Amino acid sequence: MSLKSERRGIHVDQSELLCKKGCGYYGNPAWQGFCSKCWREEYHKARQKQIQEDWELAERLQREEEEAFASSQSGPGTQSLTFSKFEEKKTNEKTRKVTTVKKFFSASSRVGSKKAEIQEAKAPSPSINRQASIETDRVSKEFIEFLKTFHKTGQEIYKQTKMFLETMHYKRDLSIEEQSECTQDFYQNVAERMQTRGKVPSERVEKIMDQIEKYIMTRLYKYVFCPETTDDEKKDLAIQKRIRALHWVTPQMLCVPVNEEISEVSDMVVKAITDIIEMDSKRVPRDKLACITKCSKHIFNAIKITKNEPASADDFLPTLIYIVLKGNPPRLQSNIQYITRFCNPSRLMAGEDGYYFTNLCCAVAFIEKLDAQSLNLSQEDFDRYMSGQTSPRKQESENWSPDACLGVKQMYKNLDLLSQLNERQERIMSEAKKLEKDLIEWTDGIAKEVQDIVEKYPLEIKPPNQSLAAIDSENVENDKLPPPLQPQVYAG
Amino acid sequence: MAAAGSSGGAAAGRAYSFKVVLLGEGCVGKTSLVLRYCENKFNDKHITTLQASFLTKKLNIGGKRVNLAIWDTAGQERFHALGPIYYRDSNGAILVYDITDEDSFQKVKNWVKELRKMLGNEICLCIVGNKIDLEKERHVSIQEAESYAESVGAKHYHTSAKQNKGIEELFLDLCKRMIETAQVDERAKGNGSSQPGSARRGVQIIDDEPQAQSGGGGCCSSG
Repeated sequence: MSLKSERRGIHVDQSELLCKKGCGYYGNPAWQGFCSKCWREEYHKARQKQIQEDWELAERLQREEEEAFASSQSGPGTQSLTFSKFEEKKTNEKTRKVTTVKKFFSASSRVGSKKAEIQEAKAPSPSINRQASIETDRVSKEFIEFLKTFHKTGQEIYKQTKMFLETMHYKRDLSIEEQSECTQDFYQNVAERMQTRGKVPSERVEKIMDQIEKYIMTRLYKYVFCPETTDDEKKDLAIQKRIRALHWVTPQMLCVPVNEEISEVSDMVVKAITDIIEMDSKRVPRDKLACITKCSKHIFNAIKITKNEPASADDFLPTLIYIVLKGNPPRLQSNIQYITRFCNPSRLMAGEDGYYFTNLCCAVAFIEKLDAQSLNLSQEDFDRYMSGQTSPRKQESENWSPDACLGVKQMYKNLDLLSQLNERQERIMSEAKKLEKDLIEWTDGIAKEVQDIVEKYPLEIKPPNQSLAAIDSENVENDKLPPPLQPQVYAG
Repeated sequence: MAAAGSSGGAAAGRAYSFKVVLLGEGCVGKTSLVLRYCENKFNDKHITTLQASFLTKKLNIGGKRVNLAIWDTAGQERFHALGPIYYRDSNGAILVYDITDEDSFQKVKNWVKELRKMLGNEICLCIVGNKIDLEKERHVSIQEAESYAESVGAKHYHTSAKQNKGIEELFLDLCKRMIETAQVDERAKGNGSSQPGSARRGVQIIDDEPQAQSGGGGCCSSG
């Protein structure tokens, strides 16, 4: 406490320290400048008034919200993808706020007033909030059940937690850093209180702290995850775009010590990617961290199978970078920011989860700053790949299947086969054409030759009678011949 | 371990939690060093450990319990710029070089400069010449290394992960020094209140807002 007042003393004017109502007691910024007594009065009044107002507002906005929901089926999951839904998001946010204010009070009804509970029962629960509120209720129930085992300490913790949530409600307009600061202070105060006053052993404190984190962060999630007051969403889109632009990075460039040709290894890679993507779906910082840890374990397995030795950081970081590049996890920056701001610090500080989270931060930082040098490429190559003119994969088509799944691999094999067949087919066609041409040429050639010969040696047939007459005319000396022998009769 | 954080703990029975980063070039044997220390194994084909990048060790030094978390860092040059993300909030740093490799010693010097610039004197530095089993091929002179270490307020150690030499001493010494630093810190901060700032990591803490809010909540409920 001494520290608290010391820190406060630096920044707060003396005049601001007195109760705003002027009762003479000291006020407290946490009670909006009132003293504890005046604050309780004011707060009670405001609370009643607000319940009334919220109720009216909720009815008025309900239709609006349902319309918004109809046009954005997947709701918050796709928020980061487009800015076009920005308006819808805003309206959602507005209505959500209203309903959770109700929920907020209905939760306190567990302890006391029945009135709020009836209100909640009557409240037509809008579709978008149903899921969330069911989860919130479940978590609250679990939390209470859990605290019951601690009897008096549990009760006190519950009181503190509720008080914290109520103060956080009034801090919603503060910057996210301030809200984060409050949460961190709260974690620390509760833990210290348990250790010093409650004399709770430290292992137990850790367990209780986990439950507290789960309880408060399930409730605060929608207000403090990727809040509109920050540029988290812009950063999300920037890194998403960056990863897309880097689609051509191969494991070889990053020197990833993982051989995906081994089916066991590629299974691990797929699992790691699934884990890192799953992170976005969790609400509690610790659950998000657990996703990162699971992802890391799968990476270690992949490295171990490939290299057959325990993975060092030299192996792990490049592989994690590769996984992030391949997975392009949704809302990466928002998730990292959210974990840093609202996770129980003792877990992030030195624990194993913290180590993997730090590596994820490193991976993201590396991806953001990555240049030609860090991939061992020439600047020209890097620029060409970035601009999409060429892809390193086309040049080394042999190596380009490792990241494809089996079906795709088969497809490329078949494509390859087809193109080979096509080539052969063309060759056959051209040869057939050649043959045809040869044949035609051959006939033509023969015909021409014959023609030539015919022309060269024209066939001349002399009239037959002429020659006959000639024969006769040649017999000129026939007369000189002795007369043919005449048959003679010899008397004998 | 909720609030133990880097501040360790004044109360008896509470364990100190220290974060130690391992820095050094690719092949200087960082991994072998920690595996030898935490698992007592060297290049063992039967190592069942899945990974050697984050290891923990529990120690008891003169009745004080210490939880040591050893963070390995990627040593490739291309990841050099990521150093600050790793060593933020660490209590100690082990800077490893290979005695047969002059370059790796040069890298250590760069790290020292950077660490001192970023973290000041709060961090306990250990400069470690590894692979003393290869004494014949030594390229970094013992004297040079030791006098350099002294000049920057670091301690120098000679180790061999292969022969298991000097490693136990290195970590034990480092722990003792970190405990001392933590105790000095505690005394400076006054007993009881651990500093809220340093128990957190990653969060940019801006100290320009009144800090009583959440404390106020607690006050009210207990009062």
